[in-house]
Amino acid sequence: MNLDKEQLRKALVSLSVERTLLKIGEPVYEKVVKQLSKEYNCYLPDCYEHPEYLNKVLKKIFGDSYLSIVDAIKKELDDQLMEKPIETFICAISE
Amino acid sequence: MIVGLGILVATFFGKEVVKMVTDFTYIPVAGILVVLSITISTRFRSTGNHGKAWLLFLGIAISWFIAETIWVINELVYHQNPFPSSADAFYLLGYPFLFLFSIQYLKPFKKSISKKMIISTSIIAILVLIPNLYMTLHNNSSENKFTIMLGAIYPIADAIVLIPAMIGIVLFFRGEVNFLWTLLLIGILFEVIADTGFQYFTLDNSYYTGHPIDILFIWSYILFSFGIYNHIQIFKKKAKIKDPKNLFDNKLEN
Repeated sequence: MNLDKEQLRKALVSLSVERTLLKIGEPVYEKVVKQLSKEYNCYLPDCYEHPEYLNKVLKKIFGDSYLSIVDAIKKELDDQLMEKPIETFICAISE
Repeated sequence: MIVGLGILVATFFGKEVVKMVTDFTYIPVAGILVVLSITISTRFRSTGNHGKAWLLFLGIAISWFIAETIWVINELVYHQNPFPSSADAFYLLGYPFLFLFSIQYLKPFKKSISKKMIISTSIIAILVLIPNLYMTLHNNSSENKFTIMLGAIYPIADAIVLIPAMIGIVLFFRGEVNFLWTLLLIGILFEVIADTGFQYFTLDNSYYTGHPIDILFIWSYILFSFGIYNHIQIFKKKAKIKDPKNLFDNKLEN
C-alpha cells in the first residue's frame, strides 16, 4: 500500500516537472532530460529520490531564475503540498 | 572584426566603393539572422512560451532583412537617399517584435522579476536616451522635422528594448542561456550608439552608407546571430533518451 503511494507520488512529481518544462518549450524539457541522463545517469522520475540533480540541472541552464521554475512545479503540485515527501522534494529543488 | 576592417579598408577607395561594400555586407548578415531564426523557430515548433518567443524573433529578422533589402535597392538601383524611406517602416516594425520576444521569453520567469529590477533598468534606459534627446532638441540642422523625428525614434525604441534585455541578463546570471542575453544586450547597446551616431551625423549632413558607425549596426546583427547560434547548440535535438524506468510504460506493460 505504502509502496503504491510512493510510486504514485513519484509519477505525480515527474508529471508536474514535465508539464512545467513543456509549458516553457518542448526543447527545454528535452534538454533537462538529456542533461539529467548525461550528468547523473538519472531519468525524470528518479528526481523524486534525487531532487538535488534536478536542482543542479535547472541552475546550470537557467542560472538564478531557476526558482521561477521551482515555483511553477510547486503550483502544479498544489493539491499534494501538504504531504511531507512532496514538501521535502520542493524544499530540495529550491535550495 | 573582419567586417569592420573590410569597411574601414573600403573607405580608402572612396565613398562609392565603401557604399557598395557596406550595402552588400548588410544583405548576407541580415540573411544569416533570418536563417538562424528559422532554425531555432523550427526547433521549438511554437511549443510553450519560448516557442512563441522564437516566432516573434523570426518576425524581427524578416522585417529587418526586408528593410536592408529596400535600403540597398533604393541606394544602388534607384540612386535615391534611403533615409527616410519605406525601409524605415520595416526597421521600426522589428522593435515591437523584439520587445514582445523578450516579454514572451521572460514570461515563465516573471516571478523572479522584481519591481526594483524594472525601475533600475528603466533608469539606465532613460540615461542612455539623454544624448539623443539633447541632440534632437538642440539642433540647427536643415533637415525637415519628419526626418529629425524619425531619426530620434530609433534610439527611443532601442532604449525600450534595452529594459527586458538587461532584466534577462540579471535573471539568467550564471545560466547557459545567459550567453544569448549577454549578446542581445551588447547588440542592442551597439544599436543605441549606432542610432544615436546616425542621428548626429544625419543632422550634421555627414552620414553616408559605409560610415564607421555602420560597423556597429553590422556587429549588432552578428552578435544577435551568435546568440541564436549558441541557443541552437544548447537546445539542439539529440537522439531520444529512452527511460527504462518509465513508470507509465511499465504500468501499461504489466
